[in-house]
Amino acid sequence: MADPHKPASPPAPEAPNPDTDAYAHEAELEAHLQTKRMYINMGPSHPATHGTVRLKVELEGENIASMDCEIGFLHRGFQKSCENVTWTQCLPYTDRLNYVSAMMNNFGFLNAVEKLIGLEIPERAQYIRVIGSELHRIHDHLTCVGATGMELGGFAPFLFAVEARELIMDRVAELTGARLTTNFGRIGGMNRDLPEGWSEKVIKTLDKVMEHVTEIDGLLTRNRIFVDRTKDTGVISAEDAIDWGWTGPCLRACGINYDIRKTKPYWVYDRLDFDVPVGEHGDNYDRYLMRIEEMKQSNRIIRQALRQIPSGPIILDDWRIALPPKPEVYGTIEGVISHFKLVMEGIQVPAGEVYDCTEAANGELGWYMVSDGGGRPYKVHVRAPGYPILSAVPSIIKGKMLADLIPTFDTINMIGGEVEQ
Amino acid sequence: MTGPGAHPYNAPDSIASIGAPLSTFALDRITAQFPEAVAERYLDRTGGAWAVIHAEHLPKVAAFLKNDLDFKLFTSIDAVDRLHLAESDPRFEIVYFIYSLSRHEHVRLKVRVSEARPEVPSITPLFKGADWWERFVWDFYGIRFSGHPDLRRVLLYEEFQGHPLRKDYALRDRQPLVPERPIKDIFRGPGTSGVS
Amino acid sequence: MSDNDTKKPTGDSQTPPKGSPSETREEPGSTPKHPPAGARLDTPPVAHSSPTAPPPPAKPAGPPPPKNPGFVTCTIDGKEVVVKPGTNMIEAAKMVGSDIPYFCYHPRLTIAANCRICMVEASNAPKLVPACQTPLAEGQVIKTMTAKVKEQQRAVMEFLLLNHPVDCSICDQAGECKLQDYYMKYDYRPSRLEGGKVMKNKRKVLGPRVVLDQERCIICSRCVRFMNEIPKEPQLGIFGRGSHEVIDTFPGSELSSNYSLNTVDICPVGALLSRDFRFRARSWFLSAAPSVCTGCSRGCNIYADFMGQETYRYRPRENETINKSWMCDQGRLSYKYLNLERVLSSVVGRSQGTGTARPEIARRDAVKAAGKALADVKGRVAVLASAVASNEDLLATLTFAKVSLGAKEVYVGGRPQGEADHYLMTADKNPNRKGLELIAQGLGLTLKPFDELLKGIDGGRVKALYAVGTEVPGSVEAFAQAAAKLDVFVAQATNESAITAQATVLLPAATHVEHDGTFVQVDGIIQRFRKAYPAKGDAVAHWALAAELTRELGGTAAWTSSREVFRELGKAVTEFAQFDWDKSAPPDREKPGINPLPTAADGRPPGYREFGAPRVRGI
Repeated sequence: MADPHKPASPPAPEAPNPDTDAYAHEAELEAHLQTKRMYINMGPSHPATHGTVRLKVELEGENIASMDCEIGFLHRGFQKSCENVTWTQCLPYTDRLNYVSAMMNNFGFLNAVEKLIGLEIPERAQYIRVIGSELHRIHDHLTCVGATGMELGGFAPFLFAVEARELIMDRVAELTGARLTTNFGRIGGMNRDLPEGWSEKVIKTLDKVMEHVTEIDGLLTRNRIFVDRTKDTGVISAEDAIDWGWTGPCLRACGINYDIRKTKPYWVYDRLDFDVPVGEHGDNYDRYLMRIEEMKQSNRIIRQALRQIPSGPIILDDWRIALPPKPEVYGTIEGVISHFKLVMEGIQVPAGEVYDCTEAANGELGWYMVSDGGGRPYKVHVRAPGYPILSAVPSIIKGKMLADLIPTFDTINMIGGEVEQ
Repeated sequence: MTGPGAHPYNAPDSIASIGAPLSTFALDRITAQFPEAVAERYLDRTGGAWAVIHAEHLPKVAAFLKNDLDFKLFTSIDAVDRLHLAESDPRFEIVYFIYSLSRHEHVRLKVRVSEARPEVPSITPLFKGADWWERFVWDFYGIRFSGHPDLRRVLLYEEFQGHPLRKDYALRDRQPLVPERPIKDIFRGPGTSGVS
Repeated sequence: MSDNDTKKPTGDSQTPPKGSPSETREEPGSTPKHPPAGARLDTPPVAHSSPTAPPPPAKPAGPPPPKNPGFVTCTIDGKEVVVKPGTNMIEAAKMVGSDIPYFCYHPRLTIAANCRICMVEASNAPKLVPACQTPLAEGQVIKTMTAKVKEQQRAVMEFLLLNHPVDCSICDQAGECKLQDYYMKYDYRPSRLEGGKVMKNKRKVLGPRVVLDQERCIICSRCVRFMNEIPKEPQLGIFGRGSHEVIDTFPGSELSSNYSLNTVDICPVGALLSRDFRFRARSWFLSAAPSVCTGCSRGCNIYADFMGQETYRYRPRENETINKSWMCDQGRLSYKYLNLERVLSSVVGRSQGTGTARPEIARRDAVKAAGKALADVKGRVAVLASAVASNEDLLATLTFAKVSLGAKEVYVGGRPQGEADHYLMTADKNPNRKGLELIAQGLGLTLKPFDELLKGIDGGRVKALYAVGTEVPGSVEAFAQAAAKLDVFVAQATNESAITAQATVLLPAATHVEHDGTFVQVDGIIQRFRKAYPAKGDAVAHWALAAELTRELGGTAAWTSSREVFRELGKAVTEFAQFDWDKSAPPDREKPGINPLPTAADGRPPGYREFGAPRVRGI
């Protein structure tokens, strides 16, 4: 292809050497305005996109003529790794899918494996999973909303969001032992119970977090700049969103009421009273509003769950699924055999296949698993919610302004870990 | 300690189905409409209903699902390399999940293709969401989707050798170093830097 | 190690009276009954139809008449199964996919029925019947999954674990232990034991190669029956009663049989342990490659268990025609040369006395030096071929010797003769003497005894020698002294010895676990073995060295794999024409129990991330 920047006439024999002459390009300053398309590279590491992704944007003036997403910078071979470790050892890999809401990935994975085995986990474990998931839903939405605010020029919302995130992370660390990569839960239940006095702390934390959310809400929702940049930008129609396979808050922002927690309640979601916000316009502003409202609903859910949570076991008492208690492992041959087999060989998941999904922060987190009857998965397919959402961005941004790309990319909340597996 | 038989795992001899079987509505309709397209139907252990579709009939079935049965929400595609499974011929199995927002259920379809001719008709013209998933399956399993508008690798780079989710791709295999690509698609404003 | 009891039914599992030798078994001392003529395919027998199966039991007086005359038809777990009369329930259940657990039963041993875990429900018995001991009757209905059977299995497991020490973490059997497997499958409940366990001898040395942990023993008596019935050397017995029952040797004797390590294999728990292997590796870190024992010319089929680039043990692999499920201790311990004192790099020039370091150079340079030296003496080079090398090695090297070096005769090297024993071990300690003979014949080379080579060197007639393998039938020192007189001595060797010290050019060669190939065992059966791990150090297989030398001397050698060598050069040998190199490969099966990650699948040993170029396992 012809080089669009080549001067029309061949350079004079004594053309200035750009390597030695600082003024060599001066003549170009007086060149005519470029009327050709310009290609710019957003990313792989760009301050206004959170996530490592390379957007090759073709600009016609300020409008985006076309865009190509180059993803895969965070590809870790998730599926291949899972196929070569025991079912339990897959769990830390799932942390890294959506690392902003690791617990939802943990529990989604566990839920699918439990469905494949045919396990009904104890009620208390189900409540703990709901509490953990909703905490991380708030965490995920805070990140998205805060980052959106910041990338549109408002730093204060980001600080409030990070402050609130920090509070949640403290609670998560108390619960799971890790701030980000929680590796929480085990097949058949949970690996540890709620710590002493944790529930009260969570209530207090939620009060504080909700204050911050209100604060962010106040700073952004009626902010002229924010509204101007998000309203009617990044619009996708409901039909297109469905066709592209959108789920979660992004789909609901288009006016489709689809939330797996309601349509196919898992764990104890059917005992909890909460509303699913549904938008109307399918633009960035609605997607932002969905997240603000979902945080408020998650707050309701956690409070109810903490009130309702029964006492009881947190994991199945079956030595083929759950590790025996340590005194049994150290003191009895039965315990040590079970421990040895579960750790070295893994839980023997009966041969079969399953598709199971849970509602993660960004939408339907689906798992298709195949077991060949051994201790290691034969196939673990993860349907990360962000993957179809990101795949639609080039089409919805086509013909729009370059400046619209930033809020659009923000509100779809692309998480490299889950999109790129 | 729960006694034996307290939950279904305790009775592996009676694992015909765990939980209530899911709806077979869509598959029944497909079978009625295109009896020639359906190679096999079965329920998996968790009650999920599956239909194995002949590859050549897939676009027809998908269009029927989308237009007549209101299965519009495209969920995902993936493949399974059955190389090490008991039943391994044909080698690849492509699985399709499509969701109906009106019926609130997934339809699960499978297409089997052989190693010799790993090719399936693309359904990207029907479902936009299938675009990247088909690229994903091409990337990781080397299964071609005929009719796909832009079948490139999606997560890996073009110079990658092999398809890593195939079971015969060694876990610790290494890729050759690839030279840096000449930067053709970047133009840095006026001037000649970047492109000479 | 208890995998070799998972064999196909042999049909000879009719219960003979305990202790009496079975009529269907071969007499000890007799060589296996196959004609030694020519090469034959190593295709494992598909179905074991025992011609000597005992006659069907007398039919019940009344109805029903047999559904399939000459066979017994019955129902196991709702599936109809047709078996030969006399087949026991365990084998019949295996055919229809029902697994009946067992500890004491072994398809190749007499039946003791003392572990009681194989009890199943039979329609013609009021109580549970032991599946190992009970032949099927016409029309019988067997149920292996009922609550009664499960309770029995659970009770037996609890009973066996009652006095079992908490040893898994220090036990060699962990990971391949039947107690562990069956506990997870049939018991999975906490201990109900209150109070202590019975203490016994934790380390009872039974013999030079076997040590017994009496606490772990479940008194299944497999080892006792094995020693009585297979090598017919009754050296073990059960002593004491009740909780004091132990396996032991008879007073004043020890477990010294050449087959004693088989008791370690068949021990379903970690009671009998190999003193050689004990505490050396955890079994789940080992990968297994199907291979052939090189200890003698019998060619017992084995698994070579390896980790990294070390072989840790041999285990017998089923082969109905050669070694059944067994192998001798000498062969089993013959793996050590694969690890120790290996020639790992090329050397040019003789060593000047002991202690002086010889310069190690790149193999490419050494091959150049060898090519130059051999080119000068073309036509006058004597060739020594070891009968330890594989067929592919010999095909390539002898072709090189014939075509490039102009050799017309080959001196037969190899390990010296040893002693035969009464069962499997042969006197010829070379795995491939037959192969060497066939190949020399096929290539038109004359075989000459090793002594003549020694005489030739001493007489000054032989001044240049090309050696494929430096094992010699005679005294190593004597030959080393003779070799010192040679002008040119190009040696391809696997192991260091006094002889390799005299080589003017020493090239490192790979052993049989380091490449794919074939051996021809004493009865002329060609057997494939598989590569376990990439060759140590700078070594490559003899055939690859031959290819390099051929090219160095201006010839063409396009082989890049053992398979190509066999395909191209094996045509010269009529016996090899029938042999399908690919199809005869033993299944690349992992060992039972816990397996490490798909190891060596890329040619890189487990745990070695940075080993060489990626290679893909295949045939």
